[in-house]
Amino acid sequence: MARPNNPDLDLYASGVLARLTGVDSGYGGATVLVDIDFEARIGEVALITGPAAAGKTTFMHFLRLAMPLRAGRATILGVDLARASPATRARVKRKIGYVAENPTFIEHWSAFDNIAMPLKLGGAKAKDYSPDVRELVDFVGLGAAADLPVEQISGAERRRAAIARALAAKPELILVDDPTSGMSPGDGRRIVRLLAEMRRVGAGVVIASQDQTLADCAPFLRWSIDRGRLTRIDEAEPAEAYE
Amino acid sequence: MRNALSGVERALFWTLAFAAFAAAAAGLGARAVDRLAAAYEDARHGYAIVRVDAPDGPAGMAAAESALAHAPHVTSAAPMTAGRAAQILAEWGGASINAADIPALQLIEIDLAPAGPNTDVSGDIVAALAQGGVTADVIEAPDNDAGAGMAGRVRAAALWGSAAFGLLMALIVSLAARGLAARRRELVTVMTDLGATRSQAAGKIADEAAVLGLQAGLAGGLMAGLAGLALLAAVLPHASFAAIRHLIMPLDLAPLIAAPIGAALAAGAGARAAAGYFHRQAARVG
Repeated sequence: MARPNNPDLDLYASGVLARLTGVDSGYGGATVLVDIDFEARIGEVALITGPAAAGKTTFMHFLRLAMPLRAGRATILGVDLARASPATRARVKRKIGYVAENPTFIEHWSAFDNIAMPLKLGGAKAKDYSPDVRELVDFVGLGAAADLPVEQISGAERRRAAIARALAAKPELILVDDPTSGMSPGDGRRIVRLLAEMRRVGAGVVIASQDQTLADCAPFLRWSIDRGRLTRIDEAEPAEAYE
Repeated sequence: MRNALSGVERALFWTLAFAAFAAAAAGLGARAVDRLAAAYEDARHGYAIVRVDAPDGPAGMAAAESALAHAPHVTSAAPMTAGRAAQILAEWGGASINAADIPALQLIEIDLAPAGPNTDVSGDIVAALAQGGVTADVIEAPDNDAGAGMAGRVRAAALWGSAAFGLLMALIVSLAARGLAARRRELVTVMTDLGATRSQAAGKIADEAAVLGLQAGLAGGLMAGLAGLALLAAVLPHASFAAIRHLIMPLDLAPLIAAPIGAALAAGAGARAAAGYFHRQAARVG
């Protein structure tokens, strides 16, 4: 049966993971994001930098469908947010990997179980997902800390666990808010390179950070945000420059 | 199994268990009141007194007894002796009455078989006595229109009172189960962030609360059952096991079965509502 004509799905099929046009959003009476135009594509890594309270975290919340659309048009993973039902929003969220600035965990569960949670939610059985989760644990360098309750691991290990959890369900769009917070500069840059590598498996990556020096870690499309207004800085350099 | 039930969960379990105990005990108490009222009503309707107006003296009493032996509804008849009258008067008057002071009575106590709702029992007996040449009145227990029928009101009060109390306990269980959902708020938040729907997130918490409610309800129901048996044993110390089983089966098991089911449903509903609220909050930060 032929698929009905849907421009949002066509956009998604052409590799556009998120397209925002003239978007306003905010909390209560305050409008935080103003007239945002943005696009994220498969295989691209966007780096959004800006000072504290510029709207970076709010923008990430918007991309993970946790903020209301007040004006403009937003299409994320083929879904027009203005018309999406709660069930559709939940379905889209399952395709988004989100690493919060202060990630929330089930504190008394092990990091391993927390990382496996998106897979459990998807109905996978432990014997099926365990090897994948172990691979992720190695990928983010969590090591033996994975078997400890999250309440017992360090801040940097929590961040690694959050990244592993965000990647567990093989998301199409990866959102990372301030990934280097609480890490040494070296560790932070390693983590950012690692996240940028996800572009090679067909995901789009959006990273928000105050640290503008991260720009030389990977072939980023650079954006700047200030007082809720997002502007494109420059074009990405060829990926080969970072090999 | 580490931390299977610890801290707040253990306190919550016992809160639910005691609520279930109270509801089941109230149900058992209501059933006991209902049985007593029903037995009282049966006894009241199964007894009457025949006052023989004519012929006077022993001949009239003999004729009446003979007629009553074949009268409809009458299962047994016995003339009221002076001693029996003295006993009844002492019960109601409170003072000791000498049987020798009571004159010869023209009264016969009769036991009646259960009759249909529109049956004129007194009329049938008076007619039978008349056929035997006796003029008499039959004095039955007053009916509802005469201000009697207290048993019916007592039974209704027991039923609706215990139902209202059960609902109150269910409300307490439901509110207490919200505490469990609050303890699981981080789980709801994480599930929501990972794309769980409201029914998925709330359902998981509701299932956990329902299982806890079921276990607590079983414990509460068991405690109520044991308390009921202990009370029966205290009230009827010489009753056999078979007699006690006859007393309590099968309807009195209803409150004990309803306790775990009701506790599970109320706990599940309370936790589901709270978890749904937390999901809504987690899904939208703006």
